[in-house]
Amino acid sequence: MPIWGRSILLKLENISTHYGDVQALRNVSLGIKEGQIVSIIGSNGAGKTTTLNTISGVLRASSGTIEFLGRRIENLPPHQIVDLGVVQIPEARLLFPYMTVLENLELGAYTPKARKGKEENLKVVFRLFPVLEERKTQLAGTLSGGEQQMLAIARGLMAKPKLLMLDEPSLGLAPLLVKEVFEAVKEINAHGITVLLIEQNVFHSLSISDEAYVLENGRVVLEGEGKGLLDNPQVKEAYLGI
Amino acid sequence: MLTIVIQLIINGLLLGGIYALISIGLTLIFGVLEIINFAHGEFLMLSMYASYWLFQLLGVDPYLSLLVVIPMFFLIGLVVQRIIIQPIIHAPPLNQIFVTVGLSLILQNVALFFWKADYRTVRTAYSTLCLKTSGLMISFPRLVAFLLALAIISILLIFLKRTYTGKAIRALAQERRAAMLMGINIYGTYRIAFGIGIACVGAAGAMLMPIYYAFPTVGALFVLIAFVVVVLGGYNSLVGALIGGLIIGIVEAFSGFFLSPHLKEAVYFVIFILILVFRPTGLFGRG
Amino acid sequence: MKMSFISRKTASNLFRPKFYFPLALLLLLLVLPILPRNPFYEDLIIMIFFWGALAAAWNLVGGFAGQISLGHTAFFGIGAYTSTLLYLKFSLSPWLGMLAGAGLAVLVAMGIGSPCFRLKSHFFALATIAFAEVLRHVASYWRGLTQGGVGLLIPFKPRIENFMFRSKIPYAYIALGLMLLIILVSYIIRNSRFGFYLISLREDQDAAESLGVKTSRCKLIALVISVLFTAIAGTFYAQYLLFIDPDTVFSLPFSIELPLLAIIGGLGTVIGPIIGAFILTPLDVLLRGWLGAISAGLNFIVYGTVLVVAVIYFPRGIAGWLRTWYESFLRRLPGAKLSLAIEKTVSSPLLTSETSDPEDSDPEDEEIKSPLFEAQSLNKHFGGLAAVKDVSFQIKKGEILGLIGPNGAGKTTVFNLITGFLSPDSGKIEFKGEAMTAVKPPHKVCIKHIGRTFQLVRPFNNMTVLENVMVGAFSRVKRTKEAREEATKVLDFIGLLEHSHSLASSLTIADRKKLELGRALATRPELLLLDEVVAGLNPRETEAIIGIIKAISNQGITLFIIEHVMKAIMTLSHRIIVLHHGEKIGEGTPAEISRDRRVIDAYLGEEYLA
Repeated sequence: MPIWGRSILLKLENISTHYGDVQALRNVSLGIKEGQIVSIIGSNGAGKTTTLNTISGVLRASSGTIEFLGRRIENLPPHQIVDLGVVQIPEARLLFPYMTVLENLELGAYTPKARKGKEENLKVVFRLFPVLEERKTQLAGTLSGGEQQMLAIARGLMAKPKLLMLDEPSLGLAPLLVKEVFEAVKEINAHGITVLLIEQNVFHSLSISDEAYVLENGRVVLEGEGKGLLDNPQVKEAYLGI
Repeated sequence: MLTIVIQLIINGLLLGGIYALISIGLTLIFGVLEIINFAHGEFLMLSMYASYWLFQLLGVDPYLSLLVVIPMFFLIGLVVQRIIIQPIIHAPPLNQIFVTVGLSLILQNVALFFWKADYRTVRTAYSTLCLKTSGLMISFPRLVAFLLALAIISILLIFLKRTYTGKAIRALAQERRAAMLMGINIYGTYRIAFGIGIACVGAAGAMLMPIYYAFPTVGALFVLIAFVVVVLGGYNSLVGALIGGLIIGIVEAFSGFFLSPHLKEAVYFVIFILILVFRPTGLFGRG
Repeated sequence: MKMSFISRKTASNLFRPKFYFPLALLLLLLVLPILPRNPFYEDLIIMIFFWGALAAAWNLVGGFAGQISLGHTAFFGIGAYTSTLLYLKFSLSPWLGMLAGAGLAVLVAMGIGSPCFRLKSHFFALATIAFAEVLRHVASYWRGLTQGGVGLLIPFKPRIENFMFRSKIPYAYIALGLMLLIILVSYIIRNSRFGFYLISLREDQDAAESLGVKTSRCKLIALVISVLFTAIAGTFYAQYLLFIDPDTVFSLPFSIELPLLAIIGGLGTVIGPIIGAFILTPLDVLLRGWLGAISAGLNFIVYGTVLVVAVIYFPRGIAGWLRTWYESFLRRLPGAKLSLAIEKTVSSPLLTSETSDPEDSDPEDEEIKSPLFEAQSLNKHFGGLAAVKDVSFQIKKGEILGLIGPNGAGKTTVFNLITGFLSPDSGKIEFKGEAMTAVKPPHKVCIKHIGRTFQLVRPFNNMTVLENVMVGAFSRVKRTKEAREEATKVLDFIGLLEHSHSLASSLTIADRKKLELGRALATRPELLLLDEVVAGLNPRETEAIIGIIKAISNQGITLFIIEHVMKAIMTLSHRIIVLHHGEKIGEGTPAEISRDRRVIDAYLGEEYLA
């Protein structure tokens, strides 16, 4: 797939983020082109989730700039960033447990833009995850782990994202379900949605990624083409210590 | 005997409707903002005065005054949230408690300052009107208040269930971070939730006016009952607040009759403590 | 030599501002009641002492222990009614009635304390309000005993044994005495093991439990002491006004006034509530006099506004910023230089005290064969999800055992099962040959010499670094001095000595992790469980912590470590066990583990090596 002809969708330049007085990101720069799948990998506490939270406006960067479609977004509140088409699917899913599957999906389409195409979007989502249509009147809290992850992704899709950011979608899922999730991510990407993926499952995420960044201690220590990094000894070392 | 029991149940239910309406506002505010509004009763008091003055000065019927009072108290709620509640949303519980306690002190004394400690009441044609059937007596204004309370609660529940804003309010109560990531403006939604809570208690005040007196500390009386109802029903369940309100109304009617009117409050506070200790989530609350 | 040093110290103490200034304040307090010759001011001074005493008493449970009671009026009323009724019905001297009332209030507090302490902050507050309301209604209703809303009038027969005086001055001194007594008790508590425990449980109950703090008992004791003084103040009130009725002694506004004074003055400090009383009581009285005369309610509007603004914008109260001001003020008083010099000579010996390494055993030695700890078929379910499935393992004395596995594999759950934060659905845990499965509250596990740290560090933020470690040390020693020495040694060992007096919240993340290690070490564990101590640290910081962990191990302490940073765990561990989906899928030396196919699959995805 030739990727270099495409326009830049999201660009982080020298982003630093602090939790109180603790620095979690140090001068992180990265770029995502339209239509790509990009992975961020790294061990626990390396700053992966912080990166996503900074992009989505949940955390404020202490310095640096974030551009989405050429527009500076680092000072916008989260709801405006969502409205622009940057949607984060949080780790541990964070569904609305006492609402039905359908209500969760409707809340996904909360922004004015997303509301317009809600019905068609719902069809697309149900085609992607047929199990959700079967369960649409069930309370989200009663779904199985795999179904909950599907719902979390589907809810994010309802927001009509241009960029979908997934935080550890395979967390706590059985191997078979992990495969399904990655299939779904590929299919979403095939619909033209750019994907930013955080994963512990290095093999799966790198093998579907166009590009990947390795974070260590809040810094980008390595970047490159996804599959190429699979053979990189540094990646192996970061994870296995061997 | 049976007539008495039925009469007490009716009295209790009619009373409970108003309790439910007061409590549902408190529940909504606590469920969404996680703040106990100790000044809730003072908004009830203010709306009673609002309804009183509308009647005295403009001759507006208390029930008709709802049309003014509800939007007015919604706006008051928005403003109070922005100025006083917003700054303490992430403060420690004790500080939150004291800001609303302080607000309650201010409002009580604003009322005392402007309108003195007099008991004020409106005399309408139907104030003492009573419907009598087969030995039972049903006070007309209480019946109207009950039906209106149920109607307002139903509208609120439908609003929360059906509209986008309503769903956003519920989403915020269930999972704040996810709500933010779905593009919900959480601070705006906090404000609306607070506004609705105050509008509910405002409506209750206007409906109480034909059957009760307005005086500066009248709120304290009702806010304690509302706490009991909220805990009984489950602090995060609006339906719980409705049913809790009706139960407390009935408990009050029965204990007032069989024990002593002076002990009825002691009885529901005992219930309150028992619920807190043995079933802290209330009858309908979620863990 | 030593003797002469001490006597020289006490002699020169008198000239230190730190000593003579508080003494001057105390003298001022003592003459305050006899200065004014005006009943209005006499009354004001009595009210200040009275409210100061009550707010300080409330502060013991509300400030130190962080349990927000809004029902203290219940105990106040019990005190007032008990002594008054005993006097009116049986002519019992109110002095004795005061003790009876205090005793009754304590009994009641013990009855309602335990169930209510299980409630979270807001609900605890509501429950206490409700309890006080119940008493108010009972007092109003029970006319035969209390004359209900009419109230009880005590006939004025001024005699010492009747606790009644013609002049207001005795009342002023009684109130002052009570206030000073409560300040003294607060001061002693604040500087004792009990006080450290109260503040630690307020800051983080779980962390406190893990350090051996019996949190429920501490809360109850704090409540009892607080209630005791509150009831005594109730008797004082009755004897001063000679009239009580349910609506004043069982009133919600009374309950609210106490924490209010404490917040404005400085919550959880010894002197804060007193400062609150000295500012707010006159403010209240003066506003009542000035504005209340203009129009009823105006004074409360101003008072309420002051309150709301103060709580929003100065949430930490006056004592906080007054302290900095006070210290710089002291430095400008005569004799300040003297004090500095002396403090230096006093504190220097501590710094040079050597750290002893008592056991210098080599972990690779003969001892390693005996199992110190054994877990057999542990199971734990959350709802339908099996978090830990049939997990068995042993830990040998002196070894470092690693526990790894992907996120959500159940590692922290295993820690929680061992340390009593969770109980297993089935399975057995043995430590030093003793069954531990039933050892439930975490503080008991700590006393058995098993220590732990938490994945997300949980320092007691509003305590200093030294105080944090002292909480741990108190699990083994009773006296503050010993705990301080012990904690200082530990801080030296982990390299945080220079930060001893900084607040824990001001530390960097790496230092916070060290602090958490030190706190657990101070409990003198034989088995120490470390949950991701190097996660999120940079390589240099990681190296430092690994060095400390090795040094801990060299002291003969057995270690069980969860870690995600592979380099760290591979270099540290003698053996490693691997969890995946709650099941143990591998066990062996680091070298064996890194070659294990199932482990690599679990971590990196099945086909990684394919």
